[in-house]
Amino acid sequence: MDNINVLIVEDTPAESAALVSVLEASHYTIVGVATTFKDALYLFYNNKVDIAIVDIFLNGSPDGISFAETINAVPNASKPFVFLTSSTDRKIFERAKLTQPFSYLLKPFNELEIQYAIEMAVEKFYVQPDVFLGDEEDTIISDDYLFIKKGKTLKKVQLSDIIYIEVEEKYCNIITEKEKFVILISLTKILKMLDSTLFCRTHRNYIVNTGKILEIIPADNLIIVSGNHKVTLSDTYKDFIKKIRTLK
Amino acid sequence: MRFLVSILLFLFVFLCPKKLFSQEVSRPTVFTKILQKKTRDFMKEPAFAKAQTFYIDQQWDSTLVYTSKQLNLSTTEKELTNFCHFFRGYAFNDKQIFKEAEKEFNLISEGFAFYGQVKMYLGGIALELQQYEKALGFFEEVDGFSAQELLGIDKNYIEENIGICYLHLEKFDNAEPYLLKSIQYQEKKKDTLQLIGSYGNLANSYYEQYRDAEAIVYFTKAYELSKKVKDFNSKIVTAANMAAIEKNRKDFSKALTYQMEYGQWKDSLNNQANIYKVAQLEKEFAVKQKQKQVSLLQAENKIKVAERNGLLYSALVLLALLGTGLYFYKEKIKSTKIIVAQKEDLDQLNATKDKLFSIVSHDLRSSVNALKTSNANLIATVASKDTDKLNGLLHANSGIVNGAYNLLDNLLNWALLQTKQSYFEITEQKLFFTVEHVAYNYQGLMQEKNIQFENTVSKSAKVYADQESLKIILRNLLDNAIKFSEPERAIKIYTQNSHEDFCDLIIEDTGLGMKESTRLELLKDNALLSKKENENIIGTGLGMQLCRSMIKKNKGAFSIESELGKGTKMIVSLSQIPLNG
Repeated sequence: MDNINVLIVEDTPAESAALVSVLEASHYTIVGVATTFKDALYLFYNNKVDIAIVDIFLNGSPDGISFAETINAVPNASKPFVFLTSSTDRKIFERAKLTQPFSYLLKPFNELEIQYAIEMAVEKFYVQPDVFLGDEEDTIISDDYLFIKKGKTLKKVQLSDIIYIEVEEKYCNIITEKEKFVILISLTKILKMLDSTLFCRTHRNYIVNTGKILEIIPADNLIIVSGNHKVTLSDTYKDFIKKIRTLK
Repeated sequence: MRFLVSILLFLFVFLCPKKLFSQEVSRPTVFTKILQKKTRDFMKEPAFAKAQTFYIDQQWDSTLVYTSKQLNLSTTEKELTNFCHFFRGYAFNDKQIFKEAEKEFNLISEGFAFYGQVKMYLGGIALELQQYEKALGFFEEVDGFSAQELLGIDKNYIEENIGICYLHLEKFDNAEPYLLKSIQYQEKKKDTLQLIGSYGNLANSYYEQYRDAEAIVYFTKAYELSKKVKDFNSKIVTAANMAAIEKNRKDFSKALTYQMEYGQWKDSLNNQANIYKVAQLEKEFAVKQKQKQVSLLQAENKIKVAERNGLLYSALVLLALLGTGLYFYKEKIKSTKIIVAQKEDLDQLNATKDKLFSIVSHDLRSSVNALKTSNANLIATVASKDTDKLNGLLHANSGIVNGAYNLLDNLLNWALLQTKQSYFEITEQKLFFTVEHVAYNYQGLMQEKNIQFENTVSKSAKVYADQESLKIILRNLLDNAIKFSEPERAIKIYTQNSHEDFCDLIIEDTGLGMKESTRLELLKDNALLSKKENENIIGTGLGMQLCRSMIKKNKGAFSIESELGKGTKMIVSLSQIPLNG
């Protein structure tokens, strides 16, 4: 699991320092602290940013909103963001609200609030509500990553790193090259959200990354995947073999 | 002889129109009916229809106008033009423009329905113009017509006229039978006036023939008859005739008597005319006098009416003025009342604000003062390097600053709420997390007092409220709960569903509790608590007021349950369903 990359856009050093320390204590990776609109864009496009925390006012002008508008303008490049502000001035808020999805945090804030705001922003951005903030699930699936709530913090796992997923009641065991962990998510949701060209169901309880398959032994109802893990292949799901390009 | 002739001429002039007039009397009855029947076919011509109506009404000028219009239309209908010419001729004749009348009658072609009438009129006109030969021609022609062709013309008139013509032409032999016939007819008819004329005619005829004896008989007859009538002209003529006869008989005394009688009648005629004139003048004068009186009265009336109207108008104007005056006066009173009420409100509000100012500034001053003394202590302690004491002092300082900060924060939020400058949007809020976030800031304070805090709100509990105002409400209520709790007590926050659409969030402490009066006071609008009891901990009341206002703005409800010495429940009810706007 990797840390979440956070970009901070904040012009007051004292406040950004406090934010950095809070976030780093919660195991977030700060990719940069921008103090101007230009810096912010530079850092955003040159780093793999997962979420941006943006102060609305940069040096007295609402450049934070401009930044959000700019990153929102490119659909595939946009990322979740949280507005920070010390005033609830109505006019500014009306404008900020136009940058959907909109979540904001009023200064002063405590670490619970910043954590909550980040989780809210991710939920809203990927339109999967009540995941981190409920009891039923703890994982959000984006096109490239799984975002998993681990204790007080968020972690991410690249989808292409997953070898296979084993379902156990309402838990899912995720097996990657490096590690193995459990997430809380329903099978139906995970099947719906995962890229079906990459992941295939081989058994009631198994979902396999087709890129990680080493060998398929239909006679033994067995699939050997990378790392020499053995995955069961059931008759019901044997058809998936037809979809895979194999050497004959 | 000369004299006689002149009298005779006078007689004829006098007699002829009479003949024609007598015809007219019978006109409306028989003649009009026949006329209407005969002209029915032409009534579709509007001009002719008008002309005919005017003709029947004897309005000659209008008749002339419309007939000329009709003639100008150049109709080919012969009978129609004949009628037009007939109407015109008749009209001219009646207006005594004989030449024109003759012309019009001459234009009428033979075979016209009233051809007999036309000839008759032509005869009459010729007689008027003293063209006796011509007149005789016409009359004789008419005399030859059958009764049907005559259409109501009395044959006797024709015959009499023929007689008169002969008389004028001095063909006495021819005249005599006609005149005699006429007399017989008149005697039968008992038309005394006509009879006198006829006797005169016959007598003249005999006299011209020097048949004096016969003439005298008729003259005398005429004279005797004239005595019975009131007509002065007849009297004058007969008397003159008698005088002339007696003169010729050389009986001058009788002649003189007649002459005198003639003079007398003539005078009386003149007198009568004079009297008539005088009477006319008197009448005119009286009428004028009356007219004057009437106009005077009218003028008086006018003046009266004008006066009355003037009074009425001025009264109306005065009334209107009074009305508007009253209206404006009432309006003024109304607006004054409103202004007074507003002024009272404003005064009250201003007083509240002033009070608030004084309390807030007092609080802040105390805080800053405490900080000041604490800082002095700190400096002293730093010198002594007593870290434990330093720690305690710093904690105390941060507590003071926290209190002051909360006060200032409330003040700011309150001001923003009053001016409506703040962003406000009711969205879905997860109550558990909101409570957690707010409580997080009070962890230190609660630990200090060793208060047990419990948040048992479900993670799925959701309400619709504005994020920041919900936090402000919670912050204040929690702050109060901590403030009014003794150390080692517990504070619980939980939800309770009392109503389908609302979620009750309850902040329960086991603190001091409050009196019923205080409870009611807290729920009242615009109530700012003054420092009376619990000197150290009772605040401005600003926090509570802010809570109430914020809850109201979030379309929620607020209530308090409290028991003195046992604790307080602050209950905030918020909507669970999305609110419009």
